[in-house]
Amino acid sequence: MRFVIRRLGFFVVTLWAAITTNFLIPRLMPGNAALAMMSRYRGRLNPSALHAIEIAFGVKTHQSLLAAYFSYLGNVLRGRFGTSLTFFPDKVAHDVFQALPWTLALVGVTTILAFILGTLIGLVAAWRRGGMLDNLLPPIFVITSAFPYFWLALLSIWLFSIKLGWLPQNGGYDVTTTVGWTWSFVGDAIRHSILPAATILVTSIGGWILTMRNNMISVLAEDYVRMARAKGLSPWRVMWTYAGRNAILPNLTGFAMSLGFVVSGAILVEFVFNYPGVGWMFLQSVENQDYALMQGLFMMIVVAVLTAILAADAATALLDPRTRDVR
Amino acid sequence: MSVASFGATDQLATPPIGPAPAIAEIRHGRAGDIWRAVTRNRKALAGAVILFAFLVFAILPGQIAPDDPTAEIFQPALGASWHHLLGTTAYGQDVFSQLVWGTRLSIVIAFAAGGLATAVAVLVGVSAAYLGGIADGILSLLTDVILVIPIFPLVIVIAAYRRNAGLFTLVVVLGALGWSYGARQLRSQALSLRTRDFLESARVRGERRLYVILFEILPTMTSLIVASFLGAALYAVLTAAGLQFIGLGDPNSQSWGTMLYWAENNEALGAGMPLWALAPGVCIALLGAAFALLNYAFDEISSPALRMRKLERAKLGDLVEPRAGTPPPGEETVLSVRDLTVAYATDAGPVVAVDHVSFDLGRNEFLAIVGESGCGKSTLLYAIARLLGSPLPGEIVGGEVLFDGTNMVVLEEKQLRAIRWRDLSVVMQSAMNALNPVLTVAQQMRDACRAHTSMTDKEIEARSREVLRLVSIDPVHLHSYPHQLSGGMRQRAMIAMALLFTPDLVIMDEPTSALDVVAQRSLMVQIKELQEQLGFAVIFVTHDMSLVSRFTDRLLVMYAGEIVELAPTRQLFDRALHPYSRGLMDAFPSIYGEKVKLLGIPGSPPNLAHPPSGCRFAPRCPLVEERCIAAPPELVRVNHSLVRCVLQETSS
Repeated sequence: MRFVIRRLGFFVVTLWAAITTNFLIPRLMPGNAALAMMSRYRGRLNPSALHAIEIAFGVKTHQSLLAAYFSYLGNVLRGRFGTSLTFFPDKVAHDVFQALPWTLALVGVTTILAFILGTLIGLVAAWRRGGMLDNLLPPIFVITSAFPYFWLALLSIWLFSIKLGWLPQNGGYDVTTTVGWTWSFVGDAIRHSILPAATILVTSIGGWILTMRNNMISVLAEDYVRMARAKGLSPWRVMWTYAGRNAILPNLTGFAMSLGFVVSGAILVEFVFNYPGVGWMFLQSVENQDYALMQGLFMMIVVAVLTAILAADAATALLDPRTRDVR
Repeated sequence: MSVASFGATDQLATPPIGPAPAIAEIRHGRAGDIWRAVTRNRKALAGAVILFAFLVFAILPGQIAPDDPTAEIFQPALGASWHHLLGTTAYGQDVFSQLVWGTRLSIVIAFAAGGLATAVAVLVGVSAAYLGGIADGILSLLTDVILVIPIFPLVIVIAAYRRNAGLFTLVVVLGALGWSYGARQLRSQALSLRTRDFLESARVRGERRLYVILFEILPTMTSLIVASFLGAALYAVLTAAGLQFIGLGDPNSQSWGTMLYWAENNEALGAGMPLWALAPGVCIALLGAAFALLNYAFDEISSPALRMRKLERAKLGDLVEPRAGTPPPGEETVLSVRDLTVAYATDAGPVVAVDHVSFDLGRNEFLAIVGESGCGKSTLLYAIARLLGSPLPGEIVGGEVLFDGTNMVVLEEKQLRAIRWRDLSVVMQSAMNALNPVLTVAQQMRDACRAHTSMTDKEIEARSREVLRLVSIDPVHLHSYPHQLSGGMRQRAMIAMALLFTPDLVIMDEPTSALDVVAQRSLMVQIKELQEQLGFAVIFVTHDMSLVSRFTDRLLVMYAGEIVELAPTRQLFDRALHPYSRGLMDAFPSIYGEKVKLLGIPGSPPNLAHPPSGCRFAPRCPLVEERCIAAPPELVRVNHSLVRCVLQETSS
């Protein structure tokens, strides 16, 4: 129980740190971005859009920094990030939630898939130490995990869309189909997601394979694995219940820590494929200097990563009885 | 012969070891080790070669690139040719020249941001570990927070406000955000170093903190520092390339990311200029791969377990045959070990850790194997149980282990499984490590029962309770996890588990050494009672002679992989024949005996890769003579004992 509370506390602290960073960055930058933007948009913006900028930056000259900070905190906690300029007059929160399902479906599913697959492959590779899998995979995946995501995305578009014409090269769905829960739409969305998903999978799986393999190798040297062999258990049982289950624990921590890296890659993959998710929208907002939307999306990304980390923690608590006890 | 001739070192119960040379090795060997490891490791070599090539590009772009990278003087969108190795851009620039000039920025970013991040990581990680307390708490929290906040989006946010920020800003931001992973690892290594002897001695010498950190701690962490630099550099290269690619870098700078940005803006792939987009990506991937390969290799170097050393198991026909003429063991012999020889694979070649060991063990006999650490006791034990393998990657290279008449050495894993635990069970040194931490005691007992019997869950539960009661544990603890039990209880639970099927032989590897003296005694008494009551044989490994004196039937003294003395316990305690046995006896206090001065044996066991040519104990022996060094002594019979000493050869 204390473990869960401690992790929840960490969640809150990190979230607070992210919000505060979000608040401070525009104010610490030389030159006032908000004023610069307002002067750029002057005459083209109606009062409510101006107000949106004010909320995003807390630009109310009569407010002290501290007061601005607290009103900003209040707004963020209530999900008020102001109004998007790119998709005016949409509320930022509305846009964020429009993009979220796409990203959850693409990045969420592929990340979990990559984690599970990579963990399994790493486990088997280490179990058959010195075997084909073990000799071949590590060097290959050391190299692929160093590939820039976006370049692999470009490459796959070139090869599979332009050269071979097998799969669509951008977007989340064909604009001519109607959006909805129909077979044709879902099928089309899946077809559009294959290339970006494969890109994320190929680049992120290597990390999980390597860390799981290394964890497994050190766990295989543990006394309890030797004891399991001494007990005459079947190799299958030793591999899963004794070695695997213990080796996966540090991998879950690793999952939490490397998630930021995967998300970074996913943002670029969405950008390259014009995939209508959070990452793509994030970069759109940067390009349009739509700071309110950008900040809202950044918070969304942070929350998503932190939630995934909490889920990993919950899995750890489930698999490791030691974390469940008061120490 | 007086005990004083062993050289009184006035040591208390700890056996003497020479700490000085070990420290020197740790401290001064590192740089050389790393160099040797890099040149030997193929992955490291490949990474180093790629990195070196890019370094040359970065230093001498003017000499290598044929053209000015910015000059738009050629025909646009040319394919590859001798003049334009990689074709030209849509603006008529030479792609190859751009690529060469672009190397510089990537390298600068990698080294500057990587270096900065590593410096911060070292500072934070080491101070957190060294300061401890609240400072450690705050620094660790900071590290964890920065670790999980997605850095790349944050960098984008910063770049969005400071568009076209210069190289300096980029390096500072990447350096300031990319240190957390390294800091975390460095902290945990520094923590583990904190209690090491050489730091204690520095502290005792009164060295200042800064001196200790700079000259004592950091050198031992070299390989981890290098690894964290490589990781940070890799991250900086990829992040910077990503930023430039989405147009947040300086669009006029010469870099691979910027090339990709322009290529993407001109749809180079679709418009027939694939090389424009492919080449910079290959370069980023190659540079990234160089760092990743080096990083991976350093991982292997800093944790030797990841390196694979394999000694091919001798073909069964090649096994060293036991000497002919030994009669088959009788009915009353449960275990007969003959000329058992075990070797380890090391970087320097195979090392024989157990050398032609032979002994018989009667049913219901209690035999103790004693000797210092590193004498091959545990190796012998696990070789008998056929449990060698990581972390003891030894292989049986000769001899026989006849257990209930079956030669264990030639059995397949599957045949072994049937014997294991039913007939031969094992109790290990620390139950904390030997019990699976994520399963309850009941689950671990159930695993064993399911593997060997068709008992129902109810029967298994009943049997589990029964064996717990045997070792005086209240069965309410059956469904506890190992960490919920006290040290003594865990140890008993492990013994209970070993008795599930009342085996013929229980092998015990220092099962009491994790306990305090009082608990040790009571556990020994209990083991002895159970052994007499249930009638199994025991091989008990220990380095503490006094502990086993009252419980064992015979003692087997091992030194440097060989039996040096095998004798009935009483006889050995009354009159040990081998000087080493006598030394061991004087190294431990007797609880019951009168107060005597404790003596150690000066020096430490020999390196088995190069054992002394004559008697292996000769270099440390107080009674050494010329003939001891001349030829290795044979194991000879003296009355009821076997002993390996020339002094006994003459007297017999």
